[in-house]
Amino acid sequence: MIMMMRYNIEGGDFSAAGRASSEVKKTLKQFNISSLVLRRIAVALYEAEMNVVAHAWKGIMNVDIQPQRISVVIEDEGPGIEDIGKAMEEGFSTASDEVRQMGFGAGMGLPNIKRNSDEMILSSTPNVGTRLEITVNF
Amino acid sequence: MKQAVSVLTDMMKDKNYRHSIQIDRDKCIGCSHCMRVCSTQAIRIVNGIASIQPERCVDCGECYRVCPQRAIYAKDDGLASFHDNTYKIALVPSVFIGQFPSEYSATQVLNAVKTIGFDDVFEVEQAVDFMKEAYLIVGKEDNVQPLISSYCPAIVRLIQVQYPSLTQHIMLLKAPHDIAALYLRQSKEKEGVDPEKIFIYYITPCAAKIVAARDPVGESTSSIDGTINMKEVYNRTSQILWGEKNPDLHKTFANMSPDSVKWSLSGTEKNYFAGRSLAIDGMDNAIEFLEKLESGHIVDIDFLEMRACDQGCAGGILCPGNRFLTVERLEQRQKKLQKLQKRDNGSVNNGLMDYKETLHTLSDVDPIYPRDGLLLDENMEKAIIKLQRIKRLLTYFPGFDCGACGAPSCSSLAEDIVKGKASISHCVFVQRVMEKNYKLSPDQAFIVIEKIWGKNRLNKYIDSNANES
Repeated sequence: MIMMMRYNIEGGDFSAAGRASSEVKKTLKQFNISSLVLRRIAVALYEAEMNVVAHAWKGIMNVDIQPQRISVVIEDEGPGIEDIGKAMEEGFSTASDEVRQMGFGAGMGLPNIKRNSDEMILSSTPNVGTRLEITVNF
Repeated sequence: MKQAVSVLTDMMKDKNYRHSIQIDRDKCIGCSHCMRVCSTQAIRIVNGIASIQPERCVDCGECYRVCPQRAIYAKDDGLASFHDNTYKIALVPSVFIGQFPSEYSATQVLNAVKTIGFDDVFEVEQAVDFMKEAYLIVGKEDNVQPLISSYCPAIVRLIQVQYPSLTQHIMLLKAPHDIAALYLRQSKEKEGVDPEKIFIYYITPCAAKIVAARDPVGESTSSIDGTINMKEVYNRTSQILWGEKNPDLHKTFANMSPDSVKWSLSGTEKNYFAGRSLAIDGMDNAIEFLEKLESGHIVDIDFLEMRACDQGCAGGILCPGNRFLTVERLEQRQKKLQKLQKRDNGSVNNGLMDYKETLHTLSDVDPIYPRDGLLLDENMEKAIIKLQRIKRLLTYFPGFDCGACGAPSCSSLAEDIVKGKASISHCVFVQRVMEKNYKLSPDQAFIVIEKIWGKNRLNKYIDSNANES
């Protein structure tokens, strides 16, 4: 039994940022899952969505819900990540000053996603895009 | 106060669904005004009458405000519930005093309330001085961010129903009326009143406080014995006060710190929590904010003061007066108390604070758990199947939430269908198509409409057709 959902994410559209992750959260509230798990998923997906908005041109969020877990793939077309190891360090960010002034780009996004998910797979090709897969068990 | 989260209790649910908001089936004409304003989509029209889904209702009373038939009421205990030979105390919130023009002093209003049939009266906001101290203590603890005020019971219930993952943010402290009641029990007993005979009645500005007093969240019993609709007390008090201005009757000292009288409004409580705090009032505003907070969009806020009603309790559904006038009058009262406080070299004489040590040991409540008002099915596989059906159903529905099906939106109808509470033919658009394809006879369609909007609801159209032809 699988439930699939798909959302587009617009790069640079900060005013609409968080819409996709909000929709997923709304859906999950209809299931009998713990409120702590719900919160972890909401936070991880919001951070992932913000990464696309802040860094990429455009992206897609593919959500796959199964009775035991939720798995989300966020793929974007964008500058990609040069050094994934470095990007995973807390406090590291390549965000522009403009983005930082809006309160983003503190370099906590990826570490925060990792903390809030049970599995996280990150791959990237510079100047092509990034693929992030997050799994959270219910 | 322990705001820690226990993983073991993480799946616990609050199954208490009793409510104060009720529908008078004799008065309701099923006009659906209430259904359209309900913030939690808790209302449906069945057999021509509005019906409230108990697991979703948060007793905010928005439906009460819009009902043109006055068919929605807040069920309280009322003055009729008085027992003989008891020592009756009225707990009066400051907003009640704010219902009367400033020429009537607080003392005069409270005396008038007493005359109705109470042995004593007490202004709830005297307990706010205690709350301020409790907030100082909580503010120093290692708390989840942000803590959400437990003051407004409609907000607490909104979080339980719609924002399950935020229940652990609700402050585990009793409300001022509970603290006031605890204090009165102790002080009256000390004065020699038989504790068995003490009955404490809260004069309530809203339905949510009635539920909070009857079925408190995070407490097994309430320290309040009964609730009385503010309108009932207002009518009786007005009769006594009418034309009886008595300028000599007023306080001679400040019995609480001056801004305590504004605690129930919006914007005072938040000043007493250390760090960054926000004051949010109105259901829509609260929902917008909680939505963002739950999604993780908002960080670094320490405290949220929230009131379901615009202008806080001055906008309570059972307050007869205008909310803005009430706010202004309470501001005037604050100034009067400031003068008294200044005259006594800044000192306040609040008897409740003599009991603060004991009250601090009694002020905590148990953790608050979510309700499952949004749940499609306990079983995950079944829930996913239901959700898939909902998505499929939504492709058939027009999507403009006309409400002709007796549900507030197309998605509510889809949910009702998968829960077995409605059928696809309830949608008038689907009905037309079914009739065209001979899947539904006009007579059957008629019966469907009558099931939603009530028997004989369509009679007048039949008559006029007969006349025309």
